[in-house]
Amino acid sequence: MDHLSALENKSIFIIREAYYRFRNIALLWSVGKDSTTLLWLCRKAFFGKIPFPVIHIDTTYKFPEMYAFRDDYAKVWGLDLIIGKNEESVGSGMGPSRGSKLDCCNELKTNALKNTIASRGFKALLLGIRRDEHGIRAKERVFSPRDENFKWNYEDQPAELWDQYKSTTEEDNHVRVHPILHMTEIDIWNYIKRENIPISELYLSRGGKRFRSIGCVPCCSPVESNAGSIDEIIEELKTTKTSERAGRAQDKEDAYTMQKLRSLGYM
Amino acid sequence: MVYSGKKVLVVGIDGVPYTLINKYVEKGIFPNLKRILSEGFVNHQMDASVPDVSSTSWSSFFTGVNPGEHNIYGFMELKKYTYKLAFPNYLDVRAPSLWEILDGNCSLKKSSISERYKDKLNKNMKSIVLNIPQTYPALPFNGILTAGFVCPDLKKGTYPESAYNYLSSMGYMPDVDATKAKDDPPGFFDEVERALDKRLKSYCHFLDNGDYGLFIACITETDRVNHFFFDAACDESHGFHDKFISVYGKIDDIIGRLYDVFMEKTEGQGFFMTMSDHGFTPIKKEFYVNAWLREKGLLKLNRQREYFEQIDSGTIAFALEPARIYLNLEGSYPLGCVKKEDSSGIAAEIKDAMRSISDEDGSSVIKCIYERHEVYSGDCASNAPELVCVANDGYDLKGNLKKVEFFGKGPFTGMHTRHDAHCILPVGLKPAGRLKIEDLAPVILDNFLEPDKEN
Repeated sequence: MDHLSALENKSIFIIREAYYRFRNIALLWSVGKDSTTLLWLCRKAFFGKIPFPVIHIDTTYKFPEMYAFRDDYAKVWGLDLIIGKNEESVGSGMGPSRGSKLDCCNELKTNALKNTIASRGFKALLLGIRRDEHGIRAKERVFSPRDENFKWNYEDQPAELWDQYKSTTEEDNHVRVHPILHMTEIDIWNYIKRENIPISELYLSRGGKRFRSIGCVPCCSPVESNAGSIDEIIEELKTTKTSERAGRAQDKEDAYTMQKLRSLGYM
Repeated sequence: MVYSGKKVLVVGIDGVPYTLINKYVEKGIFPNLKRILSEGFVNHQMDASVPDVSSTSWSSFFTGVNPGEHNIYGFMELKKYTYKLAFPNYLDVRAPSLWEILDGNCSLKKSSISERYKDKLNKNMKSIVLNIPQTYPALPFNGILTAGFVCPDLKKGTYPESAYNYLSSMGYMPDVDATKAKDDPPGFFDEVERALDKRLKSYCHFLDNGDYGLFIACITETDRVNHFFFDAACDESHGFHDKFISVYGKIDDIIGRLYDVFMEKTEGQGFFMTMSDHGFTPIKKEFYVNAWLREKGLLKLNRQREYFEQIDSGTIAFALEPARIYLNLEGSYPLGCVKKEDSSGIAAEIKDAMRSISDEDGSSVIKCIYERHEVYSGDCASNAPELVCVANDGYDLKGNLKKVEFFGKGPFTGMHTRHDAHCILPVGLKPAGRLKIEDLAPVILDNFLEPDKEN
């Protein structure tokens, strides 16, 4: 089996396993390339019709292109779309220029998601995070429990051996399921290319710049790039590998330092 | 190469107190140091830096200036304009080190010390610098360096590559695994002794083969052992007393061996000294500064976040390890709300309130609280904390954010002291007055003055 099919098989296994075990689940769709790829995999896992809701957390600060993309494809793919919004905070004028960006994320993303989960009682959420995004993700599980405050205790996680995923949790907890944890940034682009998955045009270069990741307008900045097609993005990622690794090396050194300082009581 | 001045060997022993050396010399645990002290050397008590953490104190030692010039205030900082943790390394040291000054190539760095010795020293002096904390990553220079704590990658921490090849092939250990001290104490002591054997072997290798004017060899295992087992230092009934003494016996061996090899090579003409970056004393209790700030309503936390990103709006002040108190200044932090013009008043109030902190038996916790301008001067003084506390012996000040109670106990039995670092110097070389760690660099550099340029 080729590499991409092997990755796809694994993801589909995890998606079906999560649905079978929890039933009351939802997919978190940010409209970015990773969660759109995950959404595509969910459609394939259930032969085109996703049997659970898709949540989009709307901070009201997303790119207009993202809203258009979301609404178009929600129709095309027949999604049961839930739009989660923290109306109260939005109403009171919360934004990145008021308070910190952290507070903004916390109010408009985290609390909006908490409310959505609480109102529908979801037991598990499918998320499109990848292990190569950040050093700390190396410790992630495919089935990853969160407590009522959304806290992730990476030192106390169930073992995951031979595709045996633990799906029982405490009453207040929910489980985050990560079906594309094993994919890398370049795997995602190769898979998008093979499957011809629609993605937001923001990823493609316009005037020498493109977005490598997309979210809220005030907190996203484009990178210098002339990659105007998916093929060109794949080529670019192959050659910009060094800078990506440099970033990862810093994370790794920091993680080592933190561990050392912690062992001597400095944290 | 022949340099004017004597060759210098500094043996750094992390966290070994002046008083403990005297005690162990007297008890016969330190026969080599006893012999050395009888050959024209004196043990002096010395003040460490403020705060007395290794990264800061070693930086003061190897630059000869205060943190206001060298910019290292601790093992962690917050990234500018954020509450995100950052870990300063050698690239953040703003003042030139002894070896950079001796090399005659400080690149763009300068300090009051490097200016004072400019054009007065031998040029292109070679140095060998082994295991000093806060020297990672190793930058190219005229000599050999392998970085001490924290050294995440031995290769990046060692210059030149031939030195890395030697160290990695002989099984050199940059650090021991301190987590073992709790879980497997005998295993921890074994690892400490193994690391010390490797240090002795590699340090002798460089001493034998290296061309140098200045040689600095540091031993950091003493600090690790002291953190976890300082209660065993003088308590013969302690289960790990013998192990503790065995490690210290080995330290004495290493010092004796390095001294003998050095004196033999220099035909008795070398300049030898030992020093530590701070002292140690047994812990009575840990005191959690941030818990205290919270109780006083000065620190607000949002528990859904991590580390210092927990700092919430309305926060006036917070403490980074060990007891560096920063004000949440408007314009300096995302949720900063303290106005610049109010900062000195607020700092004075906090200082007053902290002075009266006492344990349940009435013992006072804080020995003194320094305001920034009292202890720091230089271009980087604006990065300094507003207040820094030095504790009374027995009260280990901690910047932990998780604690709710003021006092507690951790797995540690020893804490740093500022006033009880040591320095063994040849008779007559101690500068006048109370010895401070930043006084040592000039003592070393004076040795290398070119005779006709001394004035």
